[in-house]
Amino acid sequence: MSGDNTTVIEGRNLKTHFEGRNGLISAMLGGKSETVHALDGVDLHIDKKEIVGIVGESGCGKSTLGMTLARMYEPTSGQILFGQQDITNLHGSKLKSYRGSAQIIFQDPYSSLNPRLTVEQIIREPLNIHRIGNETEKAARVAEVLNRVQMPPETYLHRFPSNLSGGQRQRVAIARALVLRPELIVADEPVSMLDVSIQAGILELLNQLSKELDLAVLYISHDIATVGYICDRVAVMYLGRIVEQGSSDDVMHSPLHPYSDRLMAAVPSIDATASRERVHLSGEVPSPTNIPAGCRFAARCPAATALCHTVEPELYEARPDHKVRCHLYLPEDRDLRPDLERPKAHPFA
Amino acid sequence: MSIEFETLRGTLEKKPPVRLQVQDLCVTYKSARGPMKAISGVSFDVEPGSNFGLVGESGCGKSTVVKSLMRLLPASATTSGKVLLDGNDVLAMNRQQLSRVRWAQIALITQSAMNSLDPVFTVGDQIVESIRAHADVKHAVAWARAEELFAMVGLPPERLKEFPHQFSGGMRQRAVIAMAFSLNAGLLLADEPTTALDPIMQDQIMSRIRDIQKRLHRSMVLVTHDIAVVSETCERVAIMYAGRIVETGPTHDVLNKAYHPYTMGLQNAFPKVVAKGEKKPPLISISGGVPDLANPPAGCQFAPRCPFATAQCRAEEPMLRTAGNSLVACHHMERATEFRRAALKAETWRVEETLQ
Amino acid sequence: MSQTIHRSVAWVFRALLPIVTTFRMLIQDRFALWGLSIFGVFIIVAIIAPWIAPYDPFAPMMTETGRLMRLAPPSSDHWLGTTAFGNDVLSQLIMGSRVALRVGLVAALAVGFISTLVGVISGYFGGIIDDILMRMTDVALSIPTLPFAIVAVGLLGPSVDNIILVITLLFWRNGARIIRSVVLTERERVFVKWARAAGASHLHIILKHILPNILRVVFLWVTMSVAFAVLTEASLSFLGLGDPSITSWGQMLNTAFASGALRSAWWWVAPPSLMLIALISSLYLIGRAYEEQTNPRLKDHS
Repeated sequence: MSGDNTTVIEGRNLKTHFEGRNGLISAMLGGKSETVHALDGVDLHIDKKEIVGIVGESGCGKSTLGMTLARMYEPTSGQILFGQQDITNLHGSKLKSYRGSAQIIFQDPYSSLNPRLTVEQIIREPLNIHRIGNETEKAARVAEVLNRVQMPPETYLHRFPSNLSGGQRQRVAIARALVLRPELIVADEPVSMLDVSIQAGILELLNQLSKELDLAVLYISHDIATVGYICDRVAVMYLGRIVEQGSSDDVMHSPLHPYSDRLMAAVPSIDATASRERVHLSGEVPSPTNIPAGCRFAARCPAATALCHTVEPELYEARPDHKVRCHLYLPEDRDLRPDLERPKAHPFA
Repeated sequence: MSIEFETLRGTLEKKPPVRLQVQDLCVTYKSARGPMKAISGVSFDVEPGSNFGLVGESGCGKSTVVKSLMRLLPASATTSGKVLLDGNDVLAMNRQQLSRVRWAQIALITQSAMNSLDPVFTVGDQIVESIRAHADVKHAVAWARAEELFAMVGLPPERLKEFPHQFSGGMRQRAVIAMAFSLNAGLLLADEPTTALDPIMQDQIMSRIRDIQKRLHRSMVLVTHDIAVVSETCERVAIMYAGRIVETGPTHDVLNKAYHPYTMGLQNAFPKVVAKGEKKPPLISISGGVPDLANPPAGCQFAPRCPFATAQCRAEEPMLRTAGNSLVACHHMERATEFRRAALKAETWRVEETLQ
Repeated sequence: MSQTIHRSVAWVFRALLPIVTTFRMLIQDRFALWGLSIFGVFIIVAIIAPWIAPYDPFAPMMTETGRLMRLAPPSSDHWLGTTAFGNDVLSQLIMGSRVALRVGLVAALAVGFISTLVGVISGYFGGIIDDILMRMTDVALSIPTLPFAIVAVGLLGPSVDNIILVITLLFWRNGARIIRSVVLTERERVFVKWARAAGASHLHIILKHILPNILRVVFLWVTMSVAFAVLTEASLSFLGLGDPSITSWGQMLNTAFASGALRSAWWWVAPPSLMLIALISSLYLIGRAYEEQTNPRLKDHS
């Protein structure tokens, strides 16, 4: 798929580890700092006009993935390809120019806009940073993106963020992201702090922008229901790795991995008549400083066998375009460790 | 000890559920821009042993209602009306009466409750302390109760000996939920109790709370923005907007046969997971924002955002009237069937956007 | 062309906006209004001092009989009487306000500049830079104020400029710590993170996103520094380390003390003391109201 010229961004075996910073004294006494394996081997690509959703629980590495693709972090290992260009270790002016093509929309619309600047100044700022256009061109671009996010410039240009609602602020944040005409947008929980009654407007806007402006969008969320509305493909993350990925219909309606199965089943239903089975999952997510051997979910998986506790599964293509990291889907003809018992049946089927 | 423990358990389980009646509750805050009516004339009853849902968006006053039930509002707020706990008015109680009622009769879990643990004591000691403040039992008995509570929220009992900072945010929230159940209070006030938790944990905790409420016949007021959680938990629900109840009734009726346009909007704006192959209904969004409570518009508070609003709505404030099994505050609830059909379409709600 | 002018005027206005809003906020507070009025009177008096002072502050006053007018109590010619050397107290008092304000304002601006520079660099960059700057601040914080001032002025020689230098050296340290802590909070704001993600330089982020949002704290610190500086100058002058060629309030008290008139000539001792009290109180009133407005926790309790 990497040769496909519509792929905007691709991460290959991305790892981002954080070193815990020790105090001066502790370091002198030879204390060892712990490494947090926030992102631990992820392959992902996003095409033009495509919205890819990343779901998972807090601490699974979904935000780290987004920030690594936007190069807010430099990956510890692996490769990021932006079009044909390798941007894994860019620095200085080349990194700055990449930052113009990959924009981030943050979760908190109340703190993402500088309260002392007007809407116009906020949206103009990226143009100033990248020294794009003269005054007239800048004004035209600001007006254009404000129209794109359905906020008439004549009404909103000179307002301050304090005069805007949460939804309007998030629209300004989107306009600010668009003004540099990026190719990739990382949207990190863009609606989770907004009221339900206005979430749809933002989701629909992201969807529309992606299709109209050929944008690749990474949509990070813990709210699985919203993912179903705008994402073409979905990846489920657990403890720094993708455990399942496929079209959003497949992953949401017929999840294969036992973990994604639990995740989907945990979404409460508005229709009380459809009685939902109770979700039960014992144990806690292991610490990302101390990753267990074998499948990362094995300790909590009722179907786990010796094989699961020893060998980490690959992403098996269980169905066309639907991959899952679970030994349940290990092809019959492949024997990783014949001496170890394979898992037999799906625990929650 | 085990006999004592069984006795404690017995007494706790025998506690009667509480009947809560809120009558014409009004809360006004003093603000720089004049008085702000956060709650205007809210009334509802919670039958003993039932779950009542209070649903609304940020700033609708749902949390203020809960705080006033516990008398936790700041001094800048003036409260009127009645909050009757089995007939006793909480708002008229003195300090002593109040401290007897808190925890023993009403327990509270808030979204940020996890920050209420004291960092210098172990979690176990804090739970034991809260039990022994109201029940005359030995430390070991209370500890056994704490172990039982921890198991209930899915935390290993040996972690009772740890300090709050050794817990993750989600674990701390669960510890606080366990603490809220420690005295088996007759009424549980749960203000977004699981919003800070991850989806799987959220679901597990909610179903545990439901089980306990049902098994021990407790009453609960559940405050949330998540109508799906309410639909799975509560028998009755009230939808709040701008400090008022706009629609209240049996959950099934309110959610399936809404009479108030705001209820319809909220429901259609809520992202749903539909069965495979089924077409997703379009997600609507209600344009505009909540009114300024220091300077509220005349008439119906929802009128500025309502696609069906008429001149009457902008002039006269609607009173709660009976519609089916519900009470609804809308001038045009007779046209609800027509509204419900229109409210499903995203365009209906979009019309207003261009007008504003 | 006119558009360029218009835009630059608008830019200047916007840059001053935090100060304008601050001012507007302050005059709504009763205490701050008092503080501002008193401070305003001091500034006006200091500016027009040479024209309103009735006599030369160092000129010896003579009686009609040609004798030196020593320690004359207040009269219609000398509203505040005369000193032991026959100088007019009112004239000395008025001219003294110039010294007080010059020391206060110059030292406070210097203190504000250095504290902001150290605080912003330390807080924004963090890491090893922060470690080094903060250890330096710790060392500076351990210097005892008055002994250091006495020794330093003693070594450098008693002049107003040296006093300003010493005050600056003494008071940047507290300000740097306070400003650093505010920067640490601002640095974590999402819009700062965003600016980094958009490719903005550190200078751009500091000037555009950090400084405007910490200006309130800088302003508060500068206000307080004026008070510290005026007090320190008065203390040094009282101890005899003032500039002998000019009159300052501290110096007036020092002369009164040295000539043994501290108990008898109330008209000589009371006015400079009251002036100091009034000036310092006015600054504290402004600072107090300002802190109340800036700190929401204090506001809630009012």
